[in-house]
Amino acid sequence: MTALIVLLTAVVAVLGLLVVGVLKTHAEILKRLHDLGAGIEPGESSADAQPSPPPTPITSRDDFQVMPQVPAPPEREHFGGAADLVGLAPGGKDAVSIRIQGVEQDTIVAFLSSGCVTCQKFWDAFAKPRKLKLPKGTRLVVVTKGPEAESPSSVAKLAPTTFPTVMTTDAFTDYDIPGSPYFVYVHGPSGRVRGEGTGPDWDQVRALLEQATVDAGLTGALEDQQVAKPNADQAREERIDRELWAAGVQPGDPSLYSLTQQDEHSHDDAGHTGGAESAKIVKS
Amino acid sequence: MKLKAHGIETNLPTGWEGRIGVRTTPLATSSTIGDPNEIPHPIVHLANFALPEDRGDFGSGAVDIMNDQHVFVSLFEYGPECANTALFSRQGIPTKLTPNMFSASALQRTLPGQAGCQIFFTAGNRAFCLYTVVGKQSAAARVLPGANATLSATRINPR
Repeated sequence: MTALIVLLTAVVAVLGLLVVGVLKTHAEILKRLHDLGAGIEPGESSADAQPSPPPTPITSRDDFQVMPQVPAPPEREHFGGAADLVGLAPGGKDAVSIRIQGVEQDTIVAFLSSGCVTCQKFWDAFAKPRKLKLPKGTRLVVVTKGPEAESPSSVAKLAPTTFPTVMTTDAFTDYDIPGSPYFVYVHGPSGRVRGEGTGPDWDQVRALLEQATVDAGLTGALEDQQVAKPNADQAREERIDRELWAAGVQPGDPSLYSLTQQDEHSHDDAGHTGGAESAKIVKS
Repeated sequence: MKLKAHGIETNLPTGWEGRIGVRTTPLATSSTIGDPNEIPHPIVHLANFALPEDRGDFGSGAVDIMNDQHVFVSLFEYGPECANTALFSRQGIPTKLTPNMFSASALQRTLPGQAGCQIFFTAGNRAFCLYTVVGKQSAAARVLPGANATLSATRINPR
């Protein structure tokens, strides 16, 4: 009987402690909600009610909120630099060098880590190269930090077999990478960064990169619309320019832009057929 | 661009990239590359184009994507017992490749227009085979200076 009373007393004491704890937590929640202005109607004046602070204007990149496990954009106006990659292969024993600048193909440099949760999605995606749908003429290169910051054996387990993987901490500095995962698209012939960013999965990153390539493609398309001048035309113009120069007719000479009486006459004779020598207008 | 591993180092000129590595021993006889009983030795692959990851020791997989202006170089090390033997009696890395040294018949895998050259040598008391492929035999004179410059900047240190 005594034992039962002692047991009941102990149970009541424990339950009492739990109730006190719950009440305390509840009070804390109410206090926090009160501080945030919850339950106070607009215009309601209360001695206890404190005005909620005005929304903080976004004045710097630090104010942006990004998804957990996704690095915030770096604090700079322009794209980072690009550099060729030199480092160790997964496993940490073999040496790898990848040329990024001054090459025919463009390169997507994927900065990953063996430890980050979001990176795992990219490691998995890169194991299935056919599903990546990389932009045409583009090479994917995976970069992790060097053996001083990454486990070579872990990287070796994750590294795709189809794409090169380089372990180099220097590349993170060269490209000014804010964290992993992060992607940089480099135009091969110019060696310039055309786009950079990150996302929670490959589909979003691919969309980002496609935008960069489409923009670049538009520029290329406009350049392609310029019709090249035939060599014969170019040679003829140069010959005429030389002959005019030898005759003392320099660029901008008034005689190039005026018609003599004889010219006007011959022009009339030519009628609407327009003789080839009807006007002395040449490229100056 | 400097590259160093397994006692081999090189300084690649502009436009070139490379790998210095040791292929892992295959675990089963069904493996497409290598033999389970072999002891792999270092292999150097240098090229003036983007090297694919799936490459054979003598460039299969890489030579398939070469164009007329491309050169592929493989330095394949043999076992220490081969050093200074008759086949490997030549000393030092060959650095003066000329077009007349190349032939389509020297290719490990014959591809239209391509030509290859194979030279065995010993350097640093280590036995090597230099295997070079040009994308187009008639363009060899134009592309070989780059290969020679790359080889001149390569050092093989004794083990």
